[in-house]
Amino acid sequence: MSVHDIIDQQVKSHPVVLYMKGSPDFPQCGFSANAVKILKACGVDAPFTVDVLQNPDIRQGIKEYANWPTIPQLYIKGEFVGGSDIMTELYQSGELKQLLAA
Amino acid sequence: MVLPQDIKQYIEAGLPCERVEVSGDGHHFEAIIVSHLFAGKSRVAQHQLVYQALGDRMRQEIHALSMRTLTPEQWAALGGH
Repeated sequence: MSVHDIIDQQVKSHPVVLYMKGSPDFPQCGFSANAVKILKACGVDAPFTVDVLQNPDIRQGIKEYANWPTIPQLYIKGEFVGGSDIMTELYQSGELKQLLAA
Repeated sequence: MVLPQDIKQYIEAGLPCERVEVSGDGHHFEAIIVSHLFAGKSRVAQHQLVYQALGDRMRQEIHALSMRTLTPEQWAALGGH
């Protein structure tokens, strides 16, 4: 299975997927920590997360998958939602909670 | 080391925009980008335009860039701040 296929399967088989550096308990980057915090604030305590630091292939592949050069990346129901900045904006406007509830 | 004004230049060179402001310490940067090209586009598509302008620099030189993208109308509605 190609990296693209693995990612495709991950984002489509879980409602909320976060590609991040580190784990939710031990994020290794401020932006990833922010993403976990925002999901928690929206009531998502246990998102399916992938630590890209543990998986160099995914780390590279995920950037190509969404044509997005940075980590973290949030997917809801298979759709790429954005990185840390967009998550923050969507959270502040209330849109993220709606997306997660839909 | 990459300076905020370098990033401003990179963005301006690769994306037609009305205004670019970048601040940062050489490692973490924050940018506000105002462009008419953002009109009608999703936030993801807007940020992709900026990443496209930065190209490989985003992978090599720039470690962390936080950005806010606005159309000229949105910028004006904020009072230009």
